[in-house]
Amino acid sequence: MLPVRRLLAQPRFPSFSPARSSSNSSHKRYDVIVVGGGHAGTEAAAAATRIGAETLLITQKIQTIGALSCNPSMGGIGKGHLVKEVDALDGLMGRAGDYAGVHFSILNRRKGPAVWGPRAQLDRSRYKEFIQSELLNMPRLTVIEGSVEGLLVSAADPEQPGKHRVTGVRMADGGDKILCSSVVLTTGTFLSGSLFMGRTTSPGGRMGEAPSCAGLSHSLKEVLGLKLGRLKTGTPPRIIRETVNFSLTQLQLPDPQPTPFSFINTHTHCKPEEQIPCHLTVTTPGVDRVVRESLPVNSHVQQDTKGPRYCPSIESRVLRFPGRQHQVWLEPEGLNSDLIYPQGLSMTMPPEMQLRLIREIPALSQAEIHTPGYGVQYDFVCPTQLFPWLQLKSVQGLFLAGQINGTTGYEEAAAQGLWAGVNAGRTALSLPPLSLSRTESYIGVLIDDLVVHGVTEPYRMFTSRAEFRTSLRPDNADLRLTPKGREEIGCVSQHRYQEAVRVQQGLTEALSTLNSISLSPPCWREKLSDVGISENKSTLISGEEMLLYTDVSFSMLASTFPDLLSPYLEFAERIKIEAVYRPHCEKQQREMERMREEESLSLPPDFDYFSQQVSLSNEVREILDRARPSTLGAAMRLKGVTPAATVHLLNYVTKTDRKTRGK
Amino acid sequence: MSLSRCWRRALRMTAVRLRVRVRCDSSVSSAAGPVDTIYALSSGQGRCGVAVVRVSGPAAGGALRSVAGLSRALPAPRTALLRSILNPQTNEVLDRGLVLWFPGPHSFTGEDIAEFHIHGGPAVINGVLQALGSLPGLRPAEAGEFTQRAFHAGKLDLTEVEGLGDLIHAETEAQRRQALRQMAGDLGQLYNDWSQRLKRCLAHVEAFIDFSEGDLIEDGVLNQVDLDVPQLQMEIENHLCDERRGERLRSGVQVVIAGSTNVGKSSLFNILCQRPAAIVSPIAGTTRDIVETSLDIGGFPVLLSDTAGLRDTGDCVEKEGVRRARHMVELADVTLVLVDSTQLPQEPPMVSGFLREYLMNVLPSGNNYKQQRLLILNKIDLLPKEHISAIQNVLTQTSDLAPVCILSCHSREGLERFLTLLQDRLKTLCGDPLAGSPSLTQTRHRAHLQNCVEALNQYYQYRNVDLALAAEGLRLGLSSLGRITGKVGAEEILDVIFRDFCIGK
Repeated sequence: MLPVRRLLAQPRFPSFSPARSSSNSSHKRYDVIVVGGGHAGTEAAAAATRIGAETLLITQKIQTIGALSCNPSMGGIGKGHLVKEVDALDGLMGRAGDYAGVHFSILNRRKGPAVWGPRAQLDRSRYKEFIQSELLNMPRLTVIEGSVEGLLVSAADPEQPGKHRVTGVRMADGGDKILCSSVVLTTGTFLSGSLFMGRTTSPGGRMGEAPSCAGLSHSLKEVLGLKLGRLKTGTPPRIIRETVNFSLTQLQLPDPQPTPFSFINTHTHCKPEEQIPCHLTVTTPGVDRVVRESLPVNSHVQQDTKGPRYCPSIESRVLRFPGRQHQVWLEPEGLNSDLIYPQGLSMTMPPEMQLRLIREIPALSQAEIHTPGYGVQYDFVCPTQLFPWLQLKSVQGLFLAGQINGTTGYEEAAAQGLWAGVNAGRTALSLPPLSLSRTESYIGVLIDDLVVHGVTEPYRMFTSRAEFRTSLRPDNADLRLTPKGREEIGCVSQHRYQEAVRVQQGLTEALSTLNSISLSPPCWREKLSDVGISENKSTLISGEEMLLYTDVSFSMLASTFPDLLSPYLEFAERIKIEAVYRPHCEKQQREMERMREEESLSLPPDFDYFSQQVSLSNEVREILDRARPSTLGAAMRLKGVTPAATVHLLNYVTKTDRKTRGK
Repeated sequence: MSLSRCWRRALRMTAVRLRVRVRCDSSVSSAAGPVDTIYALSSGQGRCGVAVVRVSGPAAGGALRSVAGLSRALPAPRTALLRSILNPQTNEVLDRGLVLWFPGPHSFTGEDIAEFHIHGGPAVINGVLQALGSLPGLRPAEAGEFTQRAFHAGKLDLTEVEGLGDLIHAETEAQRRQALRQMAGDLGQLYNDWSQRLKRCLAHVEAFIDFSEGDLIEDGVLNQVDLDVPQLQMEIENHLCDERRGERLRSGVQVVIAGSTNVGKSSLFNILCQRPAAIVSPIAGTTRDIVETSLDIGGFPVLLSDTAGLRDTGDCVEKEGVRRARHMVELADVTLVLVDSTQLPQEPPMVSGFLREYLMNVLPSGNNYKQQRLLILNKIDLLPKEHISAIQNVLTQTSDLAPVCILSCHSREGLERFLTLLQDRLKTLCGDPLAGSPSLTQTRHRAHLQNCVEALNQYYQYRNVDLALAAEGLRLGLSSLGRITGKVGAEEILDVIFRDFCIGK
């Protein structure tokens, strides 16, 4: 998939023309410069300004800011968690989704609130419209069109870890130098990107747009000496809507009542009845046949660059699981769009074979292709070179977010963008950088996985990656992150904060009121006759405990005790979830606290693991030296680091701590 | 106070209140968040009259009351009390011994501690450990956990902390070897098989959670899991009930004699057992299989093994012998590396290089710490005196090898010094209560299996209500099994998912 907008191509404009403000933007010094206007870049720029940093966003074309380059949808299982968390930290994505969504559904509705996946089909133009109007009206943010050719690098500040220091960017075509304290790079698939269709290969990061300048790649690889890797992805052909025979597909309706992504929205822009459906169809043996015929003329498939295992092209699906029916989702591209996005038919064969392939599917037997599918291969920066605050360990002031770190997906990009923006802003304003823990957020899980283990394939979020899944639910992202976002991070508005406070107080009060209601089993049986309370039960049961029964809802209790409970009816669903999950979350508390404690012990980034100060085996020394974990917690998650080694490290950290405190 | 802290505190207060209600009669330690209570044998093994079992954590008081049959009050702090020690499930009297009560924070770990001073026999110790394991909230301590808790409570001074890493290393190593010995047989295969099957169940449930609905997954996925989980649970339960379960438990410090052929390994073996247990001949390759015997050396239980000489050979029987010998060395607590001193280089400066290479050959894994091996130069009766002192000179200047003994099995010269050195090693090893105690490993395994069975119940409880919580039960079960067979990470689960399913979106 190609979620992140390209930005580093040669400018279409002979010299970049500022869109908003700043005929003198090139002479001004900024706190933060964000390169790229995709999901990572827009969140980064918005977050940096929320922190209070004077920010410049450089994008190739202002009109493509906030474009959805691949699938016209967002959220889903695991990814929906990320959207809720970005929103809880006052990011753009959740609200943009509520504005642009045309088909809302909560996946996994029957599988428990911890794994609910809020998801929406989006109208591409509405999404873009929302993001652009937000960014272009944001105080402290300047947006210009242009292309960055290289980074300005100087000697490192000796007080801080790192070998270099970034001081600004150099624009392409003999353009100006623009100075700043922090740079956030969000170049998506454009870093040495090449496009594949059939046997043809051309440089570029996205079809129809110019390739990026070699300068930036050169800066990263040669000047800064970073380790790069290569990954691949792809996108399906777009099909003309009126050529599809929908009568041969299965209708997929949205939820009758759309649930907004954002905690501060009570409803979505799209009215329930205005939502539009999706359609489902399946592949046939003919599809298998075309795939096999296409292999000799399909160079993308023959490459052994790593692609994602979970979002495979139709070619790799057929090759890995031959003889099966594969699902194809026909998704609308928007309310007024003539195009259909066939989810599941990402392909890189020559265009004439693409047409043959889709016509093997009965519903598409007359279909016409508007734009053919293609593959992309691109460079990424091995993310183990990053601190958990997404700054490169070796370059002061340089932050990376999105596909450049080896991830895939809009939501993954947005989450990193937000966090990189927060820290780029904080660093520029001389505030200490921050990291999010695995124990408090999926964003923390995502970043920790990236910086500790690196990637071998494009990284996507799954709920099974979060060991504290029971506690990190989409419903409570605001309670987990919004207060912290205001009080510690500084990226949350007063308005949102107050709303979170109100919700928090409401929930706390509701739960303690529930606990104040305590009745004997016969009393409960009398009040709620349909609930099967066990005959053996003889102790008093509190209102909260009653909610543990599957068929007891908060509104049932509220109608039994209207005076006490009806004030909290707006939180009915959340109270039920809190009550059911509380015992399980408490079980995880101890382990979460231990992990937090371990993560609070930082290891010096320039620590000499080969020195004799700590006694470690040579094997462990090498692992630690290679990975350079930022905290003791991260060190413990590395394969091959023994309990004994962690204790030695712990001793070392505590000792140095005491020494510094003694000073 | 910050808002988030407010919320967390509110939750925690409720949690604390709940706990207080549940155990209103036990003294709840002031630590925030629930803490496990751990127990372990904390005295050494060997010829000891008294064994000490220690329990630390919030449930220690409760444990003391139920095992010592105290109905109400706890003993006065730090005062010994003579009680019958009971199995609280069966009320069977296990022993009569002293119990002590150290309420936190004035204890070694800063938590509540109960101590049981009981008779040193393995049956009594096992009985008490199993009785403790049957109490809710108690689990066997991990390596070095008592010391670690003391460290976190600020009860150790810096020099003691220095030693903590080494202690944990020693304990984990000892446990690892002990577990390896037990896991090598059918038992290991059984546990690994369970772990594999549970991993697959979890992966399939996770696939159903993370992908399904319009993605890929056939509805039948969970049906298979619904069959597999109870089957697995039943097998583990049967195993726990099976009184014949244990493989023969072999107590003692595992001492292995290894080296090239014809260096006198079997002679040393026979000297140590004081009878001609192994055949000795001048023919290289006489010993082909492991010869094993239980001994008492200086009061310490030892399991001594003689092994085939290490050499490349075409003989398939001897080849197998060499393979077994190498395996034995892997499992050893102490390796006696034997060298024929007549084979040493003539030039004394070359000796240390030769020995270093020799050691590398016998102990290629490098896993064995210096203190776990003794280098023995045999047959010194065949060398001139001045040559011996030249060698001794060189060796005193080389510190990185291993402790060296120079002796002759034939003339028995140097044997006394060797025995003293060996006894010192045994003393250190036996002082560590975890080393070489199979029953303890077994208790630990049983506790983990029990936890696994209980965690699996959560799967049924939530299977039709909340699949995330059902999966959590499988995860907890797998992590309990993982404490025996090795941890299973999120990536491995994903690997199974992508191997077994074609994921669409």
